[in-house]
Amino acid sequence: MDVQKPGRMNAAETRESGAIVARARAGDAEAWGDLYREFAPAIFRFCRRALPTREDAEDATMEIFMKIRDKLDQYDANRPFSSWLYKVAANHCWDMLRRRKIRQDKETDDLETLPLEHPDPSQLDQLIEKRTSEEVRKALDQLGSRARMALVLRYYSDMSYDEIADSLGVRRAFVGVVLLRARHELRQALEGTGAMAAGGAR
Amino acid sequence: MSSMSSPPNDHGREAQEHLDEMTCLLYLERQLERARALEVSAHTQSCDPCRTLMRAMERESRLLTRAMLEEEEPLPGRIAAFQERVHRSMQWVWMVVLGLAATAVYAMYTGYIEPWEQRLEQAGFGGTSLLSLLIFQGSFWKGWQSMISLVEILALVTLGGFAVIVARKRFRRGSALALVLTGLCAAAMVSGPPAAATEVRKGQTAEVRKDENIKGNVYLSGERVEVEGTVDGDVYAAGKDIEIDGHVTGDLISAGRSVWIRGQLDGNVRSAGNNLNVIGTVGKNISFFGDTIRIDEKGVVNGSVMMFGSDMNIEGRLGRDILFMGDRIDLNGVVGGSIDEKGAGLEIGSRAQVDGPIRFEGENEAIVSSGAKLASPVQFKKHVHKKEEFGRTSAFWTCVLLIAFASYGMVLFLAVPNFAQESVQSAENIGASLGLGLLVFFGVLIGSIIAMCTLIGLFVGFSSLFVWLIAVYAAQPVVGALIGQWILGRSKETWPLIGRMMLGIFIIRIATLLPHIGWLIKLGVVLWGLGAISLALYRRYQPAIPAQAPYVPPSAPLTPLTPAGGAAAV
Repeated sequence: MDVQKPGRMNAAETRESGAIVARARAGDAEAWGDLYREFAPAIFRFCRRALPTREDAEDATMEIFMKIRDKLDQYDANRPFSSWLYKVAANHCWDMLRRRKIRQDKETDDLETLPLEHPDPSQLDQLIEKRTSEEVRKALDQLGSRARMALVLRYYSDMSYDEIADSLGVRRAFVGVVLLRARHELRQALEGTGAMAAGGAR
Repeated sequence: MSSMSSPPNDHGREAQEHLDEMTCLLYLERQLERARALEVSAHTQSCDPCRTLMRAMERESRLLTRAMLEEEEPLPGRIAAFQERVHRSMQWVWMVVLGLAATAVYAMYTGYIEPWEQRLEQAGFGGTSLLSLLIFQGSFWKGWQSMISLVEILALVTLGGFAVIVARKRFRRGSALALVLTGLCAAAMVSGPPAAATEVRKGQTAEVRKDENIKGNVYLSGERVEVEGTVDGDVYAAGKDIEIDGHVTGDLISAGRSVWIRGQLDGNVRSAGNNLNVIGTVGKNISFFGDTIRIDEKGVVNGSVMMFGSDMNIEGRLGRDILFMGDRIDLNGVVGGSIDEKGAGLEIGSRAQVDGPIRFEGENEAIVSSGAKLASPVQFKKHVHKKEEFGRTSAFWTCVLLIAFASYGMVLFLAVPNFAQESVQSAENIGASLGLGLLVFFGVLIGSIIAMCTLIGLFVGFSSLFVWLIAVYAAQPVVGALIGQWILGRSKETWPLIGRMMLGIFIIRIATLLPHIGWLIKLGVVLWGLGAISLALYRRYQPAIPAQAPYVPPSAPLTPLTPAGGAAAV
């Protein structure tokens, strides 16, 4: 991917963030302010993509940073700060969805039965070609919580399969299935309700 | 299910079979083992449909990432403002504001409220609330002098705030709000209410000269206010000394240190100040909030007199009743109706005549001269101190208030659940809430009262006061909900939040029963909650921070398929 994702920082950025985090951990309020300014917009967008409403995203962003401040001592400085931050954010949002009872917890039953089909490549190509970012965002809003969260973790936060498995509470081997299923849901949403996804059997 | 190394439906092994979608995804995401990735790569070199599929899925990934990364909406203002909460270095600003404001409150309390509270306690009004004290005594006793003191204090607070602006590079929204409000209050007070139409006169001495005849209402403000001519309408007067020597056909609405009515006033007198002296004639009734009212031997009031204050001295003639709450009445004149007094003393002299019943509740029995002409004996009721009743009634009233606040809070939380939650969230910022609450509490109150003194600002004043009262009474539910959350944990749902609010209110009500510090806790809770509500209101209506230019990733050409997992192309 050419697009730099929020979860992936270059070496210089990582070093800079590391220094700010170290100062924040030492109790430097200015450093904490800098951290907030640097990461709050990205975390808000993360929450905006993962949660159903804007208000939820606003609440979650603030709660995540309160949590981060309390847990900053637990941060392992050998890991990129942004990865840890997204991990906390993902857990918080997923937990929030669970508390609201809108999270889908039907974990592996349907995953095991997912048909491994070869979609019509040209049809899929056409579907993707025509769509704008805005349409994709609207389609994302129609997805189930787990599908949306999986796509956000992978394509926004750039999390590894291990991290996604940990965040969503599924086995690592099923992460690909979750992602593929999410893509199918997305295609259906893009095509419109009731339409067949581009991933039909050939 | 496809495993990482060997999917069960292994289409890729035969050249004429196609790759399944899962294999394509895992290949694109570099999740396949090296050997398998090499096979997939080799297959896509020779199979057009699979290559097309692979490219389509890669494009899908790009589209997803781009859609998610774009900043299509501005960062909400409350998130930007929230930084204050995590930016602890700004806390000292609130300490400064709080310190200055606390000094103001202390000065106001010891200078004005406490002496009055003691006097009222002696007079049997121990239960008088702080609110009524502020409205009826704290603000009006000694007229504008107390107002001016408050303006000076608020100006000091503003000055402190501006010093902070100069000293600090980054100045955040919450603090700015406090300053803006303070500045507005001070500015509003210093500049005074806007003038209405009709006749307006200002100056060191604002007067209606002897030879003048003004048709319509007249507004007079100055160190000294004199009406020697004729006003065919109402007189609105604000000043140190107000003298009505001429003829006013309407009402007198005034605020000032001393009011003298020597001429003829056909309407009512509604006045607040230090003392009111009637030597001439008042056609209708008198309502007075202040220290002393004196009706001279020559003075005539055709209607009733209602007074909340200290002393009443009547030597002249009253057409109807007296309703008095204060210290004492000295009566040596004629009262055409009844007398109802709740105070420390009542003395009826030999020249007095009262045509109606006299009901007096006080410390000691009334002193009645033998020469006094009374329609009936004085009905005396000994005042029972609050402390004696406390044991019997406190539990009952605590329960009543507890239920009242809980019900009020419940209605509030159900009517505006989102705003209620925002207020509770704002209350977590204790320093900012207390500081802002202090400013809003006094600023809006005084501003509203001043506005009500003018005709044009009457509606605005009443409306502001009404909203202010709603907020003051909503303060306890808000703080209660926060305390409940501290104990039972956070909740975003309405009913669990109401449950937490009720628990919190119960704790607050218990705390307010503590001797000596109970009232302080109550005041603190009111200021805290009021500040939280103001902060939430501000955050809700503050402008959003504009988004930066939407991020559009470079539209790189689709790269040729390369093997995943570090494998070289075959």
